[in-house]
Amino acid sequence: MSEKQAEIRRVLLTGDTTLEPLGRLLERGQDKLRIQAKAAPYGQVYQILLDPEHPHWAFQPEFLVVWTAPQLTLPSLGKLLRFEFQSATEAYSAALQEAGEFADAVVRAAKRVGCVIMPSWVLPSHERWIQTLSWRQGMGVANLVAKANLILAEKFAAQPNIILLDAGYWQSSLNRPAHDPRMYAVAKILYSQPLFEKAASEIRSVLQGSLGQSRKVIVCDLDNTLWGGVVGDDGASNIKVGAPDPVGECFHAFQTALKGLRSRGILLTICSKNDEKFALSVIEEHPAMVLRKSDFVAWRINWKDKAGNLLALAEELNLGLDSFVFFDDSPQERDQVRQILPQVYTPDLPVSPSELAPFVSSLNCFETPSLGGEDFARTNSYQAEKGRKEALETSGDVESWLRSLQTEVRVALLTRSSLPRAAQLLNKTNQFNLSLRRLDEKSFWDWAEDPNHSAYTFHVSDRFGDFGLTGLATFSVSGEEARIVDFVMSCRVMGKRVEEALLGYTFARAQAAGAGRVMAAPVDGPRNGPAKDFFAGKLSNGDGSAVDPAKVSIPPQITLREES
Amino acid sequence: MNEVIAILNEIRPGPKFAEAENFFDQGVLDSLDLTTLVAALESRYGIFMDVDEIVAENFRNLAAIKAMLARKGVTL
Repeated sequence: MSEKQAEIRRVLLTGDTTLEPLGRLLERGQDKLRIQAKAAPYGQVYQILLDPEHPHWAFQPEFLVVWTAPQLTLPSLGKLLRFEFQSATEAYSAALQEAGEFADAVVRAAKRVGCVIMPSWVLPSHERWIQTLSWRQGMGVANLVAKANLILAEKFAAQPNIILLDAGYWQSSLNRPAHDPRMYAVAKILYSQPLFEKAASEIRSVLQGSLGQSRKVIVCDLDNTLWGGVVGDDGASNIKVGAPDPVGECFHAFQTALKGLRSRGILLTICSKNDEKFALSVIEEHPAMVLRKSDFVAWRINWKDKAGNLLALAEELNLGLDSFVFFDDSPQERDQVRQILPQVYTPDLPVSPSELAPFVSSLNCFETPSLGGEDFARTNSYQAEKGRKEALETSGDVESWLRSLQTEVRVALLTRSSLPRAAQLLNKTNQFNLSLRRLDEKSFWDWAEDPNHSAYTFHVSDRFGDFGLTGLATFSVSGEEARIVDFVMSCRVMGKRVEEALLGYTFARAQAAGAGRVMAAPVDGPRNGPAKDFFAGKLSNGDGSAVDPAKVSIPPQITLREES
Repeated sequence: MNEVIAILNEIRPGPKFAEAENFFDQGVLDSLDLTTLVAALESRYGIFMDVDEIVAENFRNLAAIKAMLARKGVTL
């Protein structure tokens, strides 16, 4: 186990009720995330938030959980609930004021920890206020709690290390009571054990998400998992998927839920005991399938044992088995995988097909702290790389492989809109980087605006997909001499002679600008060997750092297009 | 009683519950463990314990727990 994995994360809990049961549950997890929890005695929330010298900070927590009951922490809300006010609207406004102050206190405390986790404010489920008035503007309690939570969300928007959790979801997804008045009487424990268990599970999943420990890959069986029936026995037209059969509807819903996960970056794979060609044809051609071949990044459809297949999938995707989830309707298959590969998450699937979609939607093992372009493109990126690797295997040699890729490089002058990505490339690339200049966006733009300076961006794509802006070259001209200042290329496009095309173009532009000689002097950095080696092979013998025109050419396998 | 011992071990792994005379006096369990124990027993045996029954006295050792469960109609 690496040191990072064995590291114990310290979590401090503070609230206006007893939170020890939550602390103990947080410490109970059996996977990579190891927690040491400390629950501060209840009723010290403001002190802990506002006083950096408070004794509980000696625990040096990485995470702070602030779980408060709105009716206790916002005194005016308590008064509104119990009708102890002179004016309802005054109590309402005062409560919003108190909410703002509480949010400010949390923001101050957030400077002292890695991350603050705050469950949102939820009224106890057994509290029934006057329902006709509960959502009235300016006086109703439901209206007030919603506004108070929105105040939290607004104030926390600029704080990347404060996570507001939807505790309303905890309560509404619980099938058992969320509050236990007996426990409150005995020990000031406001929440029921089932609610604590839910909270612990959710908080653990959020912490794991933030630490990059969430699950990333689903391995799915086919028969009686993605569709009803066994396709090898029943035939393609008799499997149950889609309308009008209610069982088919259930599997349709399950596939739809899986597709949602795929759309936001979870990788789908198949592990099934079937004939591969036949099974894939069913996936591609059955009219009611929601998932198609293009939704899966890899598969092992054969008659071998599933544990071995899972190992092969992990190797193919270059991902650890601890990021895998295995869905199979067969208890025997699940047991085998659990025994041989305990690091794979192998849940028991519900027996009724109608519960498959709700089951997968309720999983918290795929939690993520953010969502962006890379997530949405993940499946397509994997498929593109797979295509390239397959092309390498089928073509006999590198030359024909390069030709088969149909690599295209689009070059354009640096623009305002390409500036952010160009600056990111300049500052983050370490290996294929000639001069290792680091400039912020404004300084780089100012430099490029100089009439003697030129900056070009290069977009690379091939027949499998688009790599985006992955090349940058700049030069300055002084009299008869041009000097290549920046020459940067992303590792994503190394090994395809793209750098030759970049140099070929840059060299031609420099000459067109009137330079007789083009100089390129690599800076000696600790990691830019690739750039140093490349240019070492391009320089003239005997003319210092001048690029030898005879060594510059655009590879025939690459198409270079200029954008006006 | 093995099931009850299993429940106790989940709350506090380690102590030899079968031999202890009074979990709470001897510091084997604390008052919060009591509430967890009550919740677990209720969940496992489908019983309900009222506020006045959730006292350390009723759960102080295995015999007391057995008697409490018997009063609720659960024979182990």
